[in-house]
Amino acid sequence: MSDQPMSRPVPKPTAWSQPYWDAAREERLVIQHCNQCATKIMNPKQYCPSCLSDDLGWSESDGQGTVYSFSIQKRSPASPFVGKGPYVVAVIRLNSGVQLLSNIVGERAFDVQCGDAVRVAFEPIPGTDITLPVFTLVG
Amino acid sequence: MKSTAAIVGTGEVPTGNYPNRTEAEAAVTACRQAILDAGLSPRDIEAVMPVGVVMGSRHFNTDLIFSRLCEELGMLRSVKLNAQVMAGGASGSATLKVAYALVASGAVRNVLVVHSDKFGSTTMQQGIDLFATLGISEEWEAPYGHNANTAVALITQRYMHETGTTEEELAAVAVSMRQWGALNPNAMFRKPITVEEVMRGDHVCTPLRPKTMSLWADGASAYIVARAEDARHITPTPVYVRGMASLVTHYSVSQEANLAFLAFPEVAKEAYAQAGLGPKDIHVAEFYDAYSVMPLLAMDAMNLCDGDRAGRFIAAGHTLPGGKLPMTTTGGAIAQGHTGAGVGVSLVVETARQLMDKAGDRQVKDAVNAAESGSGGTWMDSHISILSREAR
Repeated sequence: MSDQPMSRPVPKPTAWSQPYWDAAREERLVIQHCNQCATKIMNPKQYCPSCLSDDLGWSESDGQGTVYSFSIQKRSPASPFVGKGPYVVAVIRLNSGVQLLSNIVGERAFDVQCGDAVRVAFEPIPGTDITLPVFTLVG
Repeated sequence: MKSTAAIVGTGEVPTGNYPNRTEAEAAVTACRQAILDAGLSPRDIEAVMPVGVVMGSRHFNTDLIFSRLCEELGMLRSVKLNAQVMAGGASGSATLKVAYALVASGAVRNVLVVHSDKFGSTTMQQGIDLFATLGISEEWEAPYGHNANTAVALITQRYMHETGTTEEELAAVAVSMRQWGALNPNAMFRKPITVEEVMRGDHVCTPLRPKTMSLWADGASAYIVARAEDARHITPTPVYVRGMASLVTHYSVSQEANLAFLAFPEVAKEAYAQAGLGPKDIHVAEFYDAYSVMPLLAMDAMNLCDGDRAGRFIAAGHTLPGGKLPMTTTGGAIAQGHTGAGVGVSLVVETARQLMDKAGDRQVKDAVNAAESGSGGTWMDSHISILSREAR
């Protein structure tokens, strides 16, 4: 392996994920679905994983969910994240039923527990046109 | 499942940091040992199945794909198939399944499986950076600082939440691994540790402490699967495959529907049904680790803990040498060393060694049946196999 430092990983939108990232830039969370069989799809895909239809659409999410699991990265992260910690990685279960990986941010982020209620927030990646959906603890 | 295939020989070189031992040299040595252990000659081998290389050179990986081992070990014009199989940490279970199918179908009489890789010279940061890409979605996970450690941390946290398992119990898994490693001449870490020592290590990412994780190492191991009707003529101690169940549950760990147990409950049930055996019949458990939580999932799913939680069972010392259910008797990735996809292959090798009465100081007395587990990538799949000295 080379000793070249890794640059910060930035999502490269695809033809089928572009609407997700376009919405995130506008601070909206949208979730893909199948217009044929109504399956909710995350992570976004080219075809419906239930019926393989290419007739897919998007719906607004209220961005509310719960923490399915989490980990606080305290040390030894990948090169692009050295010096950026500690930070919280979590699997979020949106109330609408899909799961996604994200960060828990905000003042009380390190108090997170499984089952905690969370709400979406948005963090632009500096120097790019990408905004990441992230989550904060509610209540 | 009728026992139509059996393991008839194994080979392994010491795991650790061996900067002057090439990947090829280690592979050839492990294969030679396996062929000699089976009492076969090179020209008896009909298929060679190398596992994919992750950190060793690309040139060596293509050498494995392009039949170098057949030339090195005198198998030209006798081997009918040289083809690679790669399933990351599940490569032990996966090669066993593919080799089983090849001999059970009659396509070939036997298969020589081999893994060799070189992680020992990898710096910590190189390894972390590589493992921030393996089984991690570039678009949906990597931007959040996710990596292999946080992937298993997410599983561990959820497992603790659902079962009440404590960090001290996770530490006890590492203690068990190190005690077995102390008896394994091929292990990298041969000094026992205590729960207190494990707990003194600060979290890398919660709830993972350094000694509940593994360190990269160089290593190579090999085994031979033959048709059952041949196996009993090849060796007095063939190890029959009685059950092999597996299920792929995700690519991105964030998409896992059962983060606490993956598919181990389903595959454990299926493996028992195939084998015609139950929890009381299992004498040794060769469960994949890499991290301390992973064998717990398999122990619980296979109901091997007298009705107790796996964490409490292990903390009580029952999986240690001399305990009622010896577990991962190589010391696993935690004590033997993490050779990449080789961890799983070495556990298949150890399963066979235990049932052949060739496990040296680690030998579990009167072991007739053993279970083996595997999981690859960021725990994309759950495998459980049951092997036995007795054919079904």
